[in-house]
Parts: sequence; C-alpha cells; structure tokens
Amino acid sequence: MYIQVDNAKTFVATGGKAFDASLPTVVLLHGSGLDHRGWALQARWFAFHGYSVFAPDFPAHSLSEGEALTSIEDMGAWLVRALDAAGVNEVHLVGHSQGFLVVLEAAKILSHRLQSVMAISTGSSIPVNPSLIETAQSNPNLAAQMMLQWGFGHQHQYGASAVPGMQPIGIGQRIMANNPLATDLSACNAYSAGEKRAQELANQGCPSCVILAAQDRMTQRHIGLKLAKDLGTQAQIIDNMGHMLPMEAPKQSLNIMKQFIQSVEN
Amino acid sequence: MSKSSFLGADTIALHSGYQPESDHGSRAVPIYQTTSYVFDSVDEASALFNVEQGGHIYSRITNPTVAVLEQRLAAIEGGAGAICTASGMSALFISFFSLCSAGDHIVSAVQIYGSTVTLLKHTLKRFNIDCTFVDINDQKALNAAIQNNTKLVFCESIGNPGLAVSNLPAIAATAHAHGVPLVVDATFATPYLNNPISHGADVVVHSVTKWIGGHGVAVGGVVIDGGNFDWLKSGRFPTLTQPYEPFHGMNFWEEFGPAALAMRIRCESMRDIGAAMTPHNAFLLLQGLETLNLRMQQHMSNTQAMVVWLQQHDAVAWVNHPDIDADAHTKALFPNGAGSMLTFGVKGGRDAGAAFINALQLSSNLANVGDSRTLVLHPGSTTHSRLTEQDLVSAGISADLIRVSVGIETIKDIQADFALGLRAATKVAEAQAAQVGS
Repeated sequence: MYIQVDNAKTFVATGGKAFDASLPTVVLLHGSGLDHRGWALQARWFAFHGYSVFAPDFPAHSLSEGEALTSIEDMGAWLVRALDAAGVNEVHLVGHSQGFLVVLEAAKILSHRLQSVMAISTGSSIPVNPSLIETAQSNPNLAAQMMLQWGFGHQHQYGASAVPGMQPIGIGQRIMANNPLATDLSACNAYSAGEKRAQELANQGCPSCVILAAQDRMTQRHIGLKLAKDLGTQAQIIDNMGHMLPMEAPKQSLNIMKQFIQSVEN
Repeated sequence: MSKSSFLGADTIALHSGYQPESDHGSRAVPIYQTTSYVFDSVDEASALFNVEQGGHIYSRITNPTVAVLEQRLAAIEGGAGAICTASGMSALFISFFSLCSAGDHIVSAVQIYGSTVTLLKHTLKRFNIDCTFVDINDQKALNAAIQNNTKLVFCESIGNPGLAVSNLPAIAATAHAHGVPLVVDATFATPYLNNPISHGADVVVHSVTKWIGGHGVAVGGVVIDGGNFDWLKSGRFPTLTQPYEPFHGMNFWEEFGPAALAMRIRCESMRDIGAAMTPHNAFLLLQGLETLNLRMQQHMSNTQAMVVWLQQHDAVAWVNHPDIDADAHTKALFPNGAGSMLTFGVKGGRDAGAAFINALQLSSNLANVGDSRTLVLHPGSTTHSRLTEQDLVSAGISADLIRVSVGIETIKDIQADFALGLRAATKVAEAQAAQVGS
C-alpha cells in the first residue's frame, strides 16, 4: 500500500493482504540499501496468519519517494510517523541489520505501544569501514557487490536458492545499487546510542529475540551476542548462513520469528 | 564474475545451485524424477501454495534438478532468476506471452530464426498481437517502429542463419528510451561468448538444446530475467505491476521487484501452459553446461580455421561469418569470436550445394545447431522453407546458402569431409557450365 509520510509517497508492503490496523501488527524493517522485498516470504506468512504486516521502504528506497534520511534517530522518528499515518497502535518491531538500529530508536518513542522487538543479523552498533562508504558514494554498483559478497554466507554463494530458480545475489545487487546505500552506511557508522537503548528496553521488560547467523561477516557474532546480553535475552544462531538471513534462510528465520511473536501474543 | 554471482563463469557452470545433498552426498546433481513432493503438514502445503515459503509442489512448476540448471544459467548470464522450459521455442513463447496481451505489439529484428518469424508473424497474430519487423541495426527504423502499444523489442544476438550481429547497446538504448524492454535470443552466442544483460538486454532466452547442452541428446529452453528493467516506471506492464487475481491478487513488481518477470512466468505460464523441462533433460543439459567453456574454445578455434580454409577453396563462391570484416560493435561484443556458425555458398548454386551436402560422410545433414558434431543444413529448403522469397531475402538467406555448425572434431577431419563435398559440388558446377557452353 502507499501512504503519505512527511508529504512523500511511501510504499509499505503488507504481505499480499489489505492492511488492517486492528490486527496485531508486525513491522519488518530492511537493512542498508535494501527494501521490503527482503521480507517477501515472511511477510506473506504473517499477513495470512492473523497479523497485519507493515514493511516500509524507507524514504528514497525502491518504491518510496522523499529524501533519504541521514541518521538512525531520524529513521526511528520517521517510522513512528509512518505508523501513525497508517493508524497503527501496538507493534512488534523486527529489524534486519540497520533495520534493528531503527527499531532501537523507534522503541524509545513508541514506549507502551511496543509489544516486542526482534533483531536479525545485527548488533547495537554497526561500524562501517570508511572505504566502503566512500565506494558507495563513488560507485554504488561496486559497493553493492562488495556488501553482497560479504553479506551472503558460503553456502548461499554456491548452493540452492530458497526460491527455486532465483538468484538472490542478483536480486540484492539490483536493489542495493539503486538505493541510497552510502547514506544508510554513514547513518549506521554514526549511530552510537544503541547499547543504551537496548539496556533501556531490557529494563522496561520488553520481550526481545535475537537471531544471528554463524557465518555473518558484516555484523560479527560477538556484536550480536553483546546485543542479546544488553537486551537480556539469548541469541539463536542459524548455522551455515551469512548476514542476509531473511533471504538466505527465510524458512528458518520465519520459524523463529513466528514462534517468538506468537509467544508474546499468547 | 557476473552481476549475480561472485564466482567465475567456469565455477558457476560446475557448482552454482547445488551442494552435495545431506542424505547420500551425491557429488553430481541428482535426477529428481518425480512429479510431486510430500508436504510435511497441511500448514506447510498451504505456505508453499501461498508463496510464504520457497520449495517444490509439482514438477510442472518447479523441480529440484531443473532448479539447479535455472540457477546456474541465471548466475552465468548475470540475471536475477531463470525459468527452464521444454524447448527454446516455448521459452520464446512464454516470454512474449508474459509481456503481451491482445492488442499489443512487438518490434522484432527481421534477421531471425524461421520458426520465430512464424510465431511472431502468424501464431501471435491469431491472438491479436502484432509484430513489425525491422533491420534491427537500423536505429531510425527501430525508433520509428515502436508504438504506444509496443511491449518489447526482440532480436537474436547473432541472427539465424544470416549471422547478423545485433548491436545490443544501441538497440537497448533505443528500446529503453521508449520504456520498452529488450528481449534477446542469445542461443548462437552462448553465455561463453557474450552476456547480453551486461550490454543492456532485459530478458535473455536460450535454446539450451544447442551449445549449452552440446551433446544433441535433450531439448530445452530458458528465460532469464535480467532484473534491471523498471516495469513500473515504464507504465506499459499492468500484468507485472497490478494485482493478478488468479494468483492470490499478487503484485509481482511490488513483491519480487527485480525477479518480477521470472515469478510471473513461474506463477502463470508454467501453471497454465506447462511447457516444463523434464528432470532428466535438465540433468543431461547440466552435463553439457559443465563443460561449455572447454567445448566453446574448440568450437571457436575450429570455426576460425574453417573460415580461412573455405575462403581459400576454389569451389566456394562466398563465406559468411561475423568475424569477417567485423564492424566495431561485433568486435566489442564478441572479443573471443562471434560464434561457431558460418554460412557459405558453393559455385554452381543450389544444385551444387545439394551435391555438397549429399556427399558429406562425417558431417551430419540435420535440423539442429550447436552439437559437438559438425552439422550442415540448407535452410532455404528446410528450417526457413515456409518463409516467402521476400522474407528469405530480408533474413539474409540466399538460395545457395549452406549453414554450418562447426563441431569440435579434429579440424583436419572436418576439412577432409568438406573437401569431399566440395569435389561433388565442383562436378555439378562444371556440368552446369558445360551445359551453358554447349
């Protein structure tokens, strides 16, 4: 669906069903340079099993218009305005990589509207090598290739796609190279409030879940384990997978996601 | 490295899409000779049908062996996804069928395979899809032919059998300026010699039967979605950018973006038309793909040797190969040579040409190309016999044209065989000359 946020046309994927704000809402937030399509399979499951799905493309990403946001704090505030525009009250926030940094900032504003948070292949901070940011500014195609080469685990570089006949690295490259990757990476690199936000969530007793990939070379495991500790939860680690978990292991990640969210709902 | 894999093309051909499976550790890709797949539960079945998870339901739609070939071909061409089909012609049909509806229009190169001409000119016409044929390298003609209802520009990267090389970057630029995608049949080029997506193509089709298979044992085709075309911005493709009611109201562009066309083909064409590749054929074609690079090296060196040999032979009237007096775009697109097809005419015209073919012992007279063995054919009386004289001229097919698919045999043996044929052709030419003189 399209909604207006800050006077900009904004695309929000709803998993193939009409959005119904009265249902429990699962918010799926994409990583740097990516878009809602990273959640294509998970979004459909939630949408067809009693939830409403809210998976936006951030401003200037893929199907959304507007100016790219330059800080994680701005993205968190934008997300809350987008939820308000769609009439959403309570939410389960799920973020992949950069998306979870946005979760941490949005959570501060959402307060009692927050039902749970879920972190996938991420940490409370994501330092980015300055040379990668420079490459993303000068040659987005090359930067996208570098990130995807690091992002996908070894099995996915060689093995079968979760969706028969598709080549997710090719799909990711097309999406990432056309989105404001450099701006996203700069925002990640500059963000430093994550650890504090995670500890605040733990102190508030917010239910949380962390899913990590054993072969993640983008946000290494120790970063994710530290996040889980700050959130006061245990991390679940998926073997043989890399940073692009929602695309590399959609079924395994969905199984953990639905078990967690269902447990919170019940 | 292609734009959709970090492996080299030779590695992709051997490894992409499959790792030894856990049950038995089969190093080779297994043949999943099954129609259907057991669901773990009703919930899993429901999730598969509703595209909440990937997997296999029925082999008309997907099959694990076929999927390996699809993923390898997508990766090797630098695409976002691929759909294998029963034949190259079915791959073309579902490409056109997925992009066009009644009332739409196609602009095609005139220099293309005879059956594709028939499909575009007659078969699709029955469904009210029109086609305008142009000299594809005439940019003014191409530009003028694109209409408001044009849904695609089509060409072969190397035309069959005239061997005209399409200037892909220029054609793509013209098509894209109108918001129209470029569909390229790259069969004669093979992924070894040229990757059209990197030169602006949006969809690539192969008859996998030919060089990719290489052994002449299995028929198959593939459609590769390049993933670069913005179907929404074009404004011409409601089938991809509007909800599709017969498949859960799915909006393919919104849900799958760069793989929208591949998913539409999977969900509509494979379901409703069902021109599926069999698992066994996929296995056979995978064996071919694994050694494509090695075979193409021999194909190309033999072709280059045959071109020179024929040019120097007294019985040969003319020789055509794109590398002869190649123009700039041919050199740029095919730095390793423009394919292993050549055409030539013998002195004495059609009758001498028939004598040539009939005298051959090693080379095979048949309606196929891209086999490891050397193949010859007279298109005017076979593959292109249903074309009008004007169509034949437009396609660059003269009455004496002999089409050769140069194989990978020892080069001196091919030359010895052709020498036999040319001796027979010379006798016919000499008899004709004597008759004229008497």
